[in-house]
Amino acid sequence: MITEDIRILKMVTEYPSTLEVLNKFSPLFKNQAKAEINNSIARRINVKQAAEIAGVDLTLLLNELNESINEESNPPKKNNIKESKKMQNQKPEKLKKINAEKFLQLDVRPIIDSGKDPFLEIMSAVKSLKEDEVFHLINSFEPIPLYSVLEGRGFHHWTEKDGNTFNVFFFRDSEPSDLPENFTTKEKITEKDFDNVIELDVRELAPPEPMMKVLENISRIDENTLMVVHHHRDPVLLYPKLEERGYSAMTNKITDDYYKVVIMMKRKE
Amino acid sequence: MNQTSTIASSYSPPFRIVSKYFIAAIISFVLLNLSLLLNHSDIVGHHFNPKILGITHIATLGWITMIIFGALFQLIPVVLEVKLFSEKLAEVQFWIYTVGAIGLIYCFWYFNTGKYMNISAILLNLAMFIFSFNIIMTFIRVKKWNITGLYLGAAIFYLIVTAVAGLLLAINLGSPFIKIDHLQYLNLHAHTAFIGWVSMVVMGVTFKLIPMFTLSHGYKLKFAIWAFIFINIGLLGINTIFHYQETNFLYYIFTPMISVGICLFLIQVYIIFKNRVRKKLDTGLRFSAYAYLMLVLTTILGTFIAFIDYQNIINLTLIYGYMIIFGFFSMLIVGQMYKIVPFLVWYHKYSGKVGIEKVPMLKEMFSEKIAQYGFYIMIIALFGSLFSLTFRNEFGLIASFSLMLLSSLIFSFNMTTIFRK
Repeated sequence: MITEDIRILKMVTEYPSTLEVLNKFSPLFKNQAKAEINNSIARRINVKQAAEIAGVDLTLLLNELNESINEESNPPKKNNIKESKKMQNQKPEKLKKINAEKFLQLDVRPIIDSGKDPFLEIMSAVKSLKEDEVFHLINSFEPIPLYSVLEGRGFHHWTEKDGNTFNVFFFRDSEPSDLPENFTTKEKITEKDFDNVIELDVRELAPPEPMMKVLENISRIDENTLMVVHHHRDPVLLYPKLEERGYSAMTNKITDDYYKVVIMMKRKE
Repeated sequence: MNQTSTIASSYSPPFRIVSKYFIAAIISFVLLNLSLLLNHSDIVGHHFNPKILGITHIATLGWITMIIFGALFQLIPVVLEVKLFSEKLAEVQFWIYTVGAIGLIYCFWYFNTGKYMNISAILLNLAMFIFSFNIIMTFIRVKKWNITGLYLGAAIFYLIVTAVAGLLLAINLGSPFIKIDHLQYLNLHAHTAFIGWVSMVVMGVTFKLIPMFTLSHGYKLKFAIWAFIFINIGLLGINTIFHYQETNFLYYIFTPMISVGICLFLIQVYIIFKNRVRKKLDTGLRFSAYAYLMLVLTTILGTFIAFIDYQNIINLTLIYGYMIIFGFFSMLIVGQMYKIVPFLVWYHKYSGKVGIEKVPMLKEMFSEKIAQYGFYIMIIALFGSLFSLTFRNEFGLIASFSLMLLSSLIFSFNMTTIFRK
């Protein structure tokens, strides 16, 4: 049975028929399906978050999903679901006061459109943010999972919808927050635990030196550390070696001769 | 982004099978050179001669195709990111193929046509069909197609055409039934083998391996696509018209198309080399670079032969064949083996230990210095042989073939060192 906390990727892999239901509900999912469930985003979010992002009723979605796999659905009781209020109508005082040059702007729509995961770009932008600066994220949907990731790092957010564009502002606030805690998901979001990033650039090395370099350094990866490898090709022979040693990898193709490989310890599920 | 952790371990190539093919090929290369030296007096005159046919098949079946089989089992999972359909079939194929190849070469050598030649040809066909089935079933799983995959697909098609044509020719030697000239059909068999099967593989793999070894990037592959189109139209045309008797006009259309296609391929190779990050060429890459230069010369000669009445220059086809087999393919294979085998053995034996204990570097796997001697000896032997063949100089032929044998021994010595590392 499909429950609200199953991850989209897992669901679609196990029950391909659910993809159709997702397509029906939102054009947003349609795009995701095209790029093989838009990979990373789908991996990170569960059905509940997906429903929130797409702005559809969770109960309804769950019912249809379960129907599509021919299983008796056990509809969650309606009153158990909190109707969450997504938008803050009131612009926080802090944002009004800050002048324009303190805004760091990142438009991730082109990245999403090309089927890639903007997560790393977002995190590196956040990392470079100074204490008094505000991070302005522009996206085509509301990046709900990101809220809790950045909340873990002490960021508040304020979201403004402009047509099909979402302007999300992340800012630090030393004063006690006047924002309600809207989106504390029980779902643990893995990436929020990573505090350290080891970067390796092996683009100038001929095989097998890239592999050697990575394997020599993976012992530095721990639960709070991930490794980003800048590679000139998709290192398919590396993956089994990582697997053997208990690491998993995700690869992002940036251009034909530039791949970003993210390596982390295997999740214990 | 792709989820690699679930499929990762399945990429591991079957080392045991790959090395078996490679070892058989290296042995064939030494045998090829030995038999050339011992039978140098037969290497004159027309190419339709039992010894020459035998030696040619040691080269094509034992040396070239054996190494291609091994290399493809190794490379397809890497290049197309897919698991080989069946490792068992690859193993079974090896034995059927080896028996068939030895049988056929024996039958050519003693010109024993009829039953045994036919059985050998049938075994070879069976092996080729098993191979094709295995690869096609592998291709079906491929999600990310690329230009190399396209070339490999075409190569499989021509392999089957070559094998079937070879079988028909074998039967025809024992009990003639082919209506057209046997030699014309032999021409079809040979060109489908060299341009269709071997060159398609070599070209497709070139687009992956050369950039990988030279760290070349920032170029487009549009010449690769045009080369593919030209060569295939030309080759399909030749394959069709060779079934008829009066073919002159169309022959003069399709043959230049193949030449143009090869030129486009060479331009693409040049572009790749020009965009390389590593400017210094090691021995393996130097062998490869010279092989492509030899292809330039071979293409010029091949086009020339197509347009003149070469029956009058009786051993021109021999020179042409020698250039293809030794100048282009052997040089390229030797060069690529110097890159692939050390990596393969290293990956198999040491990659699991990196970061845990001390492992040898790639360049410690064999002696680069000896390999360089092998390179110079091979170049001298190559031009010496071509010179001696042209002027029918027996002493030159013995000297050149001896040097080529020496070079092949150096190569096999180095390969043995790597395998035992």
